Amino acid sequence: MKFFFHINLIFLLSILTSKTFALNQIVADLSQENVKIETDFQGAKILLFGAYDGKKGDDIIVIVKGPKGLVTVQKKEKILGVWVNTRKVNYINTPKYLSISSNRRIDDILNKKTQKISEIGLNNLKIRIQPGIKVENEKQWRQALTRNMLKSNLWSINENSVSLNKDSLFRSYLELPSNVITGRFEVKILHYRNSKLVSQQINSIKVSKSGISAEIYDIAQNYSTLYGIFAVLLAVLVGWGSNLIFRKV
Amino acid sequence: MYYYNLRNNIESFMYLYLPIAEQPIHSLAILGIGAFLGLIMGLVGVGGGFLLTPLMMFLGIPPPVAVASVANQLVAPSVSGVLSHWKRSNVDFKMGTVLLLGGIVGSSIGVILFNFLGKIGQLDFVIKSSYIIFLTLIGTLMFSESLRLILRTRKGKVTRGKLHQHNWLHGLPFKIRFRKSKLYISVLLPILIGVVVGILAALMGIGGGFIIVPAMIYLLGMPTSLVVGTSLFQIIFVAANTTILQASQNQTVDIVLATILLLGSVIGVQIGSRFTNILKGEYLRLILSSIIILVSLKLLIDLVTIPSDLFSVIISR
Repeated sequence: MKFFFHINLIFLLSILTSKTFALNQIVADLSQENVKIETDFQGAKILLFGAYDGKKGDDIIVIVKGPKGLVTVQKKEKILGVWVNTRKVNYINTPKYLSISSNRRIDDILNKKTQKISEIGLNNLKIRIQPGIKVENEKQWRQALTRNMLKSNLWSINENSVSLNKDSLFRSYLELPSNVITGRFEVKILHYRNSKLVSQQINSIKVSKSGISAEIYDIAQNYSTLYGIFAVLLAVLVGWGSNLIFRKV
Repeated sequence: MYYYNLRNNIESFMYLYLPIAEQPIHSLAILGIGAFLGLIMGLVGVGGGFLLTPLMMFLGIPPPVAVASVANQLVAPSVSGVLSHWKRSNVDFKMGTVLLLGGIVGSSIGVILFNFLGKIGQLDFVIKSSYIIFLTLIGTLMFSESLRLILRTRKGKVTRGKLHQHNWLHGLPFKIRFRKSKLYISVLLPILIGVVVGILAALMGIGGGFIIVPAMIYLLGMPTSLVVGTSLFQIIFVAANTTILQASQNQTVDIVLATILLLGSVIGVQIGSRFTNILKGEYLRLILSSIIILVSLKLLIDLVTIPSDLFSVIISR
């Protein structure tokens, strides 16, 4: 009897959890999961859409993070009348692409403390300065990093760019600039109710070089001397060929 | 909808993604710049790289890629230029060979230096200040020389000076006779010129024409008619050596960028070399020297004015 009670309890619990799971689950999809950089690549615009089990006043935040790595910030100083790069700070673990989108101002959705804990916002990223480097006025360098990444469109904050429909559907466009880095991009969709996380989903986008441009890049990296010789021969041929053509004209 | 697709296709055709520079670029812009510079090059034998490299940087191409790809494209107009000068017997191959031996040594040193400067983060600064120094020097020299010639011709007093002046440079050992150029000078002089030009060529992304042409006229005392063809001959090898070394050492040669540039420039150089017989040499040089001075002024102003942002970011790939 006791045994059956246990079975029943587990059964009940599993139904309950699966029910709440289904209720709160956010479902999202992307119009494109593989971005291929080919010879005509000028950046990509990807539609992110999905459904969530929302109530009036719920919020959606979408965070897209590209591959992380080393980013160097340089500072110019005036020496003998000319501006020269004199100092640099290396940031490791820095996302080389970051976009934060939301349906309204992030400050209205979450308080500063929650934003910091959840690493939402450009100043809340856990980026570290390469160990062993002494940095004065660290804030100034960090601001310079943010400012320059924003300027190059590799980082962006797009408040009001997620559109919600009947508290159950959402859509947003993700823009990858033409200078985007290759690798795996994590797309995190967060569903908030009264500043509390209700559910989330993580999708991913793969950005890779493809076609002729990928092959050229590979050859330039792996058979670099042959590539150089080929480049010279091509130029010689074009020069010689043009001379033949123009002589006849 | 059809119209939209069509327009979209045309637009995406116009833009080409550069595999090494890792960014798209408008192909017509590059083609036009290549043609314009090819024209200058065909006209006066100089002027490919020294304007092309700064222009590429203005278009947002990373300096290392700009320098290496411009060196690659320079091979084509040089080959085509030498062939047409050769037909008119305007190439001193003996002098060219001596110059290029120095050039190959120099450009190899240049690529190594280039790599080192990139590592310490001073490449941009060195490229720009080298441009300022040499452009100002050569520009002023050419400008005053051609102006003097023009004024003298206007006055009607066409006096011809000595073939060349004798100075301490002619006292150097290992003298060789260059029949074609009617010179009997030390072999060390053209070799040294070749080395210096080679270093600068690799470092600045140029064939070195705008330095070697005046050097051939003023230091070696070569006949002006031979200077263009001979300098193009040595540029082929210096540019080829730079390209291969940049490709193997730094992987910075963008073959797509170079190909668009060279298609433009080979057409330009052909048109240019046809004009050489129509336009007077001193007027051409006056125009070119004015352009050179303007470019160096622009670069100087950029270096001394306070940048809009003191900070910049380098994203490692």
